[in-house]
Amino acid sequence: MLTLIHAWRNLWRNGRRTAINASAIAVSTAVLIFTFALLDGSMRAMERNATELAVGEAQVHAPGWLAERSIYQAIEAPERVLEAAAGLGAAAAARSMGFGLLSSGPRSAGVQIWGVDPGAEGRVGQLPQHLARGEWLPGEAAGRVVLGAGLARTLGAEPGAELVAVVQAADGSMGNVVLRVVGVLEGISEGMDRSVALVDRRDFDALFVAEGRVHEVVLSSQGKVEAGALAAAAREAAPGLDVRSWRELLPVMVNMLNIWTVARWMISLIFVVAAGLGVLNTMLMATFERTPELGLVRALGATPGRVVLDVATEALLLGAFSAGIGAALGVGVATWAQVHGIDLSGLGAGNLSIAGVTLETTWRAHLTPGAVVQPVIVTLGVTLLAALYPAVRASRLDPVQALGHV
Amino acid sequence: MRPLAALLFVLLASGLLPGPSWAGEGRSAREVLDRADDLFRGRSSHGRLTMKVKTANYAREMTLEAWSKGKDLSLVRILAPQKEKGTATLRSAENVWNWLPNVQRVVKVPSSLMGGSWMGSHFTHDDLVKQSRMADDFTYETTFEGARGGRDVVEVTLKPKPDAAVVWGKVVVVARGSDLLPVEIVYHDEDGALARTMVFSDFKDVGGRAVPVRWTVTPAGAPGESTEIVYHSLEFDVSLDDGFFSLQNLQR
Repeated sequence: MLTLIHAWRNLWRNGRRTAINASAIAVSTAVLIFTFALLDGSMRAMERNATELAVGEAQVHAPGWLAERSIYQAIEAPERVLEAAAGLGAAAAARSMGFGLLSSGPRSAGVQIWGVDPGAEGRVGQLPQHLARGEWLPGEAAGRVVLGAGLARTLGAEPGAELVAVVQAADGSMGNVVLRVVGVLEGISEGMDRSVALVDRRDFDALFVAEGRVHEVVLSSQGKVEAGALAAAAREAAPGLDVRSWRELLPVMVNMLNIWTVARWMISLIFVVAAGLGVLNTMLMATFERTPELGLVRALGATPGRVVLDVATEALLLGAFSAGIGAALGVGVATWAQVHGIDLSGLGAGNLSIAGVTLETTWRAHLTPGAVVQPVIVTLGVTLLAALYPAVRASRLDPVQALGHV
Repeated sequence: MRPLAALLFVLLASGLLPGPSWAGEGRSAREVLDRADDLFRGRSSHGRLTMKVKTANYAREMTLEAWSKGKDLSLVRILAPQKEKGTATLRSAENVWNWLPNVQRVVKVPSSLMGGSWMGSHFTHDDLVKQSRMADDFTYETTFEGARGGRDVVEVTLKPKPDAAVVWGKVVVVARGSDLLPVEIVYHDEDGALARTMVFSDFKDVGGRAVPVRWTVTPAGAPGESTEIVYHSLEFDVSLDDGFFSLQNLQR
């Protein structure tokens, strides 16, 4: 306790220098916490957009479908996949996929048409919640269609508009139908935005003469089961099918997430070096200034170990005090950024997208205990390390020479 | 009968327009192309035909009625099956429109989908329209003359000119030696691999000249798949004014 009191007093002998250093350490801790929270926030947003919107946690296809996307490569007995999903406690949505032409007067566009189960889509993900305008599909075969925002722009079609869909049906005939636009989806993925039209599966069946063919089953446990484990379980339950987790489906995205993890460590390294140099400077100056005094202490019988302990305690105290203030500051700012988000829409028109997955224009931080604890521990460790050299140097002073030092 | 005749044009017309490339023995080569070209070019026609399509995934048969005028205008209407009855395709130069009676709309086929199948057959929309554009794209020469497979034939090989925007790497036209009418056209892709084969047979006398009324297209690498067209009636030089090939008439 006496050591602590001494250390505290020593710190404030040169109050201004300590204050400057304390604030430098505090700010670097705070910035580190804030940066971590921001990176975690964007990683979480990417992962969430992938798993809740574009892809789901895992997907099941017939072998080869992902490469060719032929309407004939349907999942055999898709019921067994749906049942298996239910057994795993995961939600599942069956999709039928085909290609066709949507036209609105003189405008037309080649599109991917998804036949979806409107209710199940709401259970596996957030698609129905990502409507920019209009409504989600009604749960009936009513000739309704929901378009990606980019596609809606291409076609000049807003909710209420009528489109003609022309497709090559599974029986070789030219399927065609009039569809009424009910909603426009936004901010999901580049691909969906530009070229996907969603219809009810029953409408899809009639248009494509698809006879109930299912090409994709999306699985989601709402985060309860890790995606890889979910895929593995589904693979076991539905042998012979191509089951992939979102990480396998979006390798570019996974790379991106890995890069961000590395970036997180690079950033902490930079801050660590900066903060460490600050502490080193403070402690070196502090011990240098007190050379005669340390000499006296040694002459009075203090062991070298005792001197090291004193100096190290001083540094640790400085670190703890500053990191505490920094943590409070960082948590405050990060919480603000988590609640309010940072509006990025001013940086560029429309949505940002990474690896084909769209990010919202509001960047929200995500504060985890790790994002606070790691910077604090790192700061304390660095402070201690930086104090070691001056501490050891002080302990090796020759008392006689030190006493004469001016 | 027209849209499909376009296929012939793709290759056959090519030698006709300024032919800078004809070699010494090109006389019969040019005549092979001329004969095939004269078959359909610059005239009007009207016919009824059936188209049978066999693929790994479906087999279908359609009865069609077709009209053509010149090399730019054609109209095809589906008579059967009942489900698609009335569906019609109009071609005017490089544009293709479909009339869809179910939804009472005309839909223009966008350029991005011109490479797609026409009516589920082994023909693409591009096959229907490419004729006039490809005229200057090939050089040609006679590569065989004489007896082959028990009949007298002339073989003409067409190669795309270096700067030609053509999907084929080589096209081989085989004609009967007797009247130089085409019996087979073999398409190779840009890597030289066989892409598809068209065979013409059942030559009938139509208005005083022989015309093949059965055309079979077999894609390479898809065993068992084919599209076969058989004309049941065909007449040339019918009087059709340009208004017949209009969007208004398409919707009739």
